[in-house]
Amino acid sequence: MSKEDILARMEKAIIEGNKEEATLLARKALEERMDLLEVIEKGYVRGIQRVGDLWEKGEYFLPELITSAECMKAAMIILQPELEKAQIHVRSRVKVVIGTVEGDIHDIGKNLVASMLAANGFDVIDLGADVRLETFVEKAEEENADFICLSALLTTTMLGQKKVIEILKEKNLSQRIKVLVGGAPVNQKWADDIGADGYGENAMRAVKVAQKISQG
Amino acid sequence: MASVTEKIENLKIEFEENRILRLIGYKTRSMELKDPVKKLIDEEKQKLDHLLHPVSIYTILDYEETNKHPIFNGAEKVALCISTIGLELEEEIKKLMNKNEMLRALILDSLGSEAAEEGAIQSDRILAEKARKMDLWPSKRFSPGYGKWDIQEQRYVFSVLPGESIGVRLTESCMMIPRKSVSFRINFYKDKELSTRKK
Repeated sequence: MSKEDILARMEKAIIEGNKEEATLLARKALEERMDLLEVIEKGYVRGIQRVGDLWEKGEYFLPELITSAECMKAAMIILQPELEKAQIHVRSRVKVVIGTVEGDIHDIGKNLVASMLAANGFDVIDLGADVRLETFVEKAEEENADFICLSALLTTTMLGQKKVIEILKEKNLSQRIKVLVGGAPVNQKWADDIGADGYGENAMRAVKVAQKISQG
Repeated sequence: MASVTEKIENLKIEFEENRILRLIGYKTRSMELKDPVKKLIDEEKQKLDHLLHPVSIYTILDYEETNKHPIFNGAEKVALCISTIGLELEEEIKKLMNKNEMLRALILDSLGSEAAEEGAIQSDRILAEKARKMDLWPSKRFSPGYGKWDIQEQRYVFSVLPGESIGVRLTESCMMIPRKSVSFRINFYKDKELSTRKK
């Protein structure tokens, strides 16, 4: 099988959500000492980009997106140790600190966003649920993150999103660290009102918004 | 006067396929469900016999026994209820997420939300029936955090009902654990015109 064939199969495995094939091909890439950056960029990443396009066209829905993200993660779990061993760095990754705000223990939506961001090449630091508001800013500073993503599922806890933006402003960090908000009671108006940089209506939209902002 | 708490344990949970599909993110009804997703839904449904433990507790108070919050105004009696499907399903969701099985986790989470809602609907029906047997007119059910009943009123509901007896507790921010739990009240009116329930 030619290199091009393997890369095309990797892309297809992600599009079709075939986890076995995605992991089998990742192992094959290691065995055959393929260029791992090429494997990621021209194989798997192309697949996940195509999945995003299919979602934009309304042909794919959340379950297909999640399945493809799972496949991407499964392949990366195999490739990552070798990448680290060889000290290979995948492009300049955009770093995201994500979590559900203080007082709110919902996490599945936030986990989906984290997983979609990771599948699309973002470096994701997941702080979990019920995260102290100051911790978001402290962690983002410490990790030199580009984004803070704040999830809130309650009308009471969504106020925490506003507070985090205020903390960033107080510390003069609001220009450098962008804030994306999401969650059931959140909408574009709320995002605008509190001065958030973006609003993710769903997991894939969050990815698209983050991509748009990070590309300037 | 101490209120009497009753338990409802024989809740039969059934699922409407279309609602589950919507909950996991499908938008159009006409689209054909892809076989792998359908298979996952079926497999996760199979687990529910072991994972769902639906149970509710309720009490029916005379208006004078309540905290006389304005939303009880005009009611002869007020039914308060806490309904849950238990914690086991949430623990399974956590395990799935840790294993990178996000879609299975989402499916199970959606089934859990639907089950919790169904448990509340059935408990609501039982309480509405009790109102009618008392020759009173039940309102629709309302949960703390909706309309003029602030989320903080969860504390009142839990001060009246022993949530712990069915394994439900409140966090500092008034969220319920297990998350797949619903608390609500129904006002029982003498005057049919005050009831907002259609049937």
